[in-house]
Parts: sequence; structure tokens; C-alpha cells
Amino acid sequence: MAEPPGRTWGGWRQHLRLPTLLLLVAVLIVWEVFARRYGAYVLPPPGSVLRGLGTIIQSGELWKHTAASLYRIAVGFGGALAVAVLMGLASFLWGAARVAVRDVVTVLNSTSVFVWIVVSLIWFGLTDMAPIFTTFMITVPVVAANVLEGVESVDRRLLEMGQVYRLSGWEKFRAIVIPSTIPYLVAGMKVGFGLALKVSVVAEIFGVTSGIGYIMNYSREILATQMVFVWALVMICVMLVTDRLLFESLTRRLERWR
Amino acid sequence: MKLEVDAVSKAYAIPILDGVTFQAGQGELVCLLGPNGCGKTTLLRIIGGLEVPTAGEVRFDGRPVVYGGAADLHVGVVFQEDRLLPWMTLVENVALVLKAQGHAKRARLETAWRYLRFVGLQGFEDYYPNRVSGGMRQRAAIARALAIEPEVLLMDEPFGALDAQNRRIMQAEVKRIWAETGKTIVFVTHSIEEAVAIGTTLIMMSARPARVRELIRNDGTRHPHALVDHLNQVIMEEVLRQQGDHE
Repeated sequence: MAEPPGRTWGGWRQHLRLPTLLLLVAVLIVWEVFARRYGAYVLPPPGSVLRGLGTIIQSGELWKHTAASLYRIAVGFGGALAVAVLMGLASFLWGAARVAVRDVVTVLNSTSVFVWIVVSLIWFGLTDMAPIFTTFMITVPVVAANVLEGVESVDRRLLEMGQVYRLSGWEKFRAIVIPSTIPYLVAGMKVGFGLALKVSVVAEIFGVTSGIGYIMNYSREILATQMVFVWALVMICVMLVTDRLLFESLTRRLERWR
Repeated sequence: MKLEVDAVSKAYAIPILDGVTFQAGQGELVCLLGPNGCGKTTLLRIIGGLEVPTAGEVRFDGRPVVYGGAADLHVGVVFQEDRLLPWMTLVENVALVLKAQGHAKRARLETAWRYLRFVGLQGFEDYYPNRVSGGMRQRAAIARALAIEPEVLLMDEPFGALDAQNRRIMQAEVKRIWAETGKTIVFVTHSIEEAVAIGTTLIMMSARPARVRELIRNDGTRHPHALVDHLNQVIMEEVLRQQGDHE
């Protein structure tokens, strides 16, 4: 069996694709040129961004704000995950619930992030709950839509097999429905988590005094543009790391049988 | 009688089965033949408790089949597709269906191993279905059906998806399994040669709405070639009749 990419040195070389590296160098050069042309307030040079990254690593700010953001994402997204699974369960058990769940998902999907930010500021004031609630409301429909699709894609013929062999309702659910739905759930989690990261940061602009969104906006206010870029970089890294470490290994583990 | 199908009728929008009646004794291997779409699979599903007949009754040892989940119907079914759970190994697939009988886990696994060995899958117990061939998956499906020690084994064109060579191998395998277990088997097929090769009783169904057109004891008194020719002639008549219906 072929070694999955990323495990060997050859795999790592593949990850660091040469064309991408060349493009990166080109971008850095153009960036430097433009930074000199327009000044550090509009576009800070790459060097100062790197120094800024060093500063927040040394001062511990990096971890403080990243942890604050990740905590809110974990709570909001975790809640969304639980609710989405319950919605999937309900729509498996009752055909009537399926229609209602579908409609709820459609409505939530067409609601803007900004609605939830404003509403949560009114309801919860300047607290952690604003980004948590916003994250929750935005990610519920994304994960639920996937879970629903998973539940609907369960192979009827396998359920019929379960009926022939007199498997109990619970046994059919455990042995047939859950394993068929899990790949959809993981796909939904992947998209949902990316969205959670993007959305919670926006919500952090208002009302809280920690988190990547807060510190980016604060940096803008004190005219420290290089720090805005630093935190943007941190966000991208968090996204990449969770995607690679969490979801790819999760997918590999769950799909041994393929 | 082990299996009695008594005046079973089934209608959806149109009538499919019209008073199908036959009996099978213990240890018979009944082959159901008929034109495509005449309702062979529907009849098998009614015998297997998956569908409720519009009229009539199916009895095992004189006990009528009760439709609906709770009944203690004891049939093993091998479908056209293997219907193994792809996320479970072969042994786990077989052991799963023993749960309904409430054995302990260890006993379930032992039974599953025994039946996998019986169908010639020793060494492949811990393989996932996607890692073995179609013929082997169908063997595992047979092991699963046998593991519950069914009163009757129902097989619905189980080898339709296999190539000619594997098909012959599996036909011989069914004959061996039938001979060694003494099970009553109802085998649906569209291949007359297959039916004549393995069946002890051949039931030719008519065009839709299906009745039993002919029941033949395949006891060697008629030469297989003559039997195949005869059945080919009958099935052509029925196919033509079914087509005539549509015009």
C-alpha cells in the first residue's frame, strides 16, 4: 500500500511545491517594492511583519489572543455540532421533522453574519457570548445540511438487510446509519470549522477585549498596520494547522475500510 | 410442509402476483423461473417478510408469516447485491446478524468464523468487503444467511453480477451447501440452465400477473437438455404474452 503523502520526506517535498515557493518569492518582492513606494502605514514591509510576529511570540500575546479566539470557536462550534447532530437524528426518526429541519437550515443559511453580530450585541452585551453565539448560528446550518445529506444518503438496501436479520432499531442506527453519516459529518465539520474561525473573528471586533479579531481592530486603531498583517498571518496558520492535523487525520482514521 | 405459498396475490398500481400457490418440503431446492419483471423478486420478498401480500398467506411448518418487525420469522436472504456493511470486516458482518438472537460476543464471533470457513473464506475473516472479489463478497453474504440457522434460505439472483466462470463456481457451491446443510432453499434466477443445474423443483411462473404455470420435479427422469428446451419454449410463450399485454 502506498504511503500517504505527508508521512515521508518525499511527501514533505511534495507539500512544499516549487511553483508555490517561486510565487511566494515574487509576492514578497512586489510587496517590498510597494511598501517602499506607499509607506509603512498603508503597507508595512515584510521585514516589519516578521519582527512583529517575533514580538507577540516573545510577549505571549500570540497565545493569549489565539487561545481566546479558539475558546469561543470551540464553544460556539461545539454547540453547533451537537445541535446539528440532534437535527440529523430527529430527521432520521421522523419524516415530518426532516421537512422542518430542511426549512430551518435554508432560512439560517440565508441569514447574514451581521444580523447575528448585531442581535447578539443587543442580547448579550459586550461579552464572550457575542462571538460564541454568532459562531453558533452561522455554523449550525452548514453542519446540519451535511448531516442531513448523510442521513438521507443511508443505503435503503442495507436497512432492509437489517430488517431481514431482525436487527433492533438501535442496532440498525449504530451499525448502518452512523457509519454512513460520519463522512458527511466530518466534511461538514471541516467546512464549518473554517467558517467558525472566519466568523468569530469578525464578531470579536465588537465588545470584547481579547481575541484575534479584537487585536487586529485595535492594531488598526493605533495605526500599527504591521500588526494587522501579523495577526492575519496567525489566523491563516491556525486554519492550516487545524485542517491538516485535525481533519485529515480524522478522515484517515474513519475511512480505513475504503 | 416446510414452506407453503398459498394463493398469494400482490397488486401495486397493477396486479403483479395472482394467486401463486406451491409447496416445498424440507430440503428442497426450489428454483423460481419466469419472464423478466413477472414478480419473482416480489414473491421472494413476500416469503421473506419484507412485503405484505394483498391476499393469501405464506406458512413455514404450518405457521403463517406475520408481517411487521416483531415476528420471529427465521429466514436468511441472499440479495442480488451482497449488502455487506463496507465499514465492517467479513467476520464482523456475519457476527452482526447474530445479535438479534442474543448470543454473547465471543459466541457470535466463533459462529461467524465457522460459517466463513464453511463457505471457503478462511484467511479472509478480517478483510473489509472492498478488499475482496465480488464472488467472495457473495460467499460472505451466504455465510451471513446461514449463520442465523434459518428455516429457509432465500436467494434472489445472487450471482447475476458475477462473470460466467464465477457463476458456475458459485452454483456448485450452492449445491454443496444445500447438500451439506439440508436447508430448504428458494432460488430466484432468470437462467434456465442454472435452474436445471441446481434445482430439485423448478417453478415456471407465467407472465404478469404471475401464476404458477408449471411445477417440475427435476428428479432426473427427464434429461436436462430436454428440460432446458422445454422451459425455453414455455418462457418464450410467456414473454410473448407479456409483450402482447402492453400493446
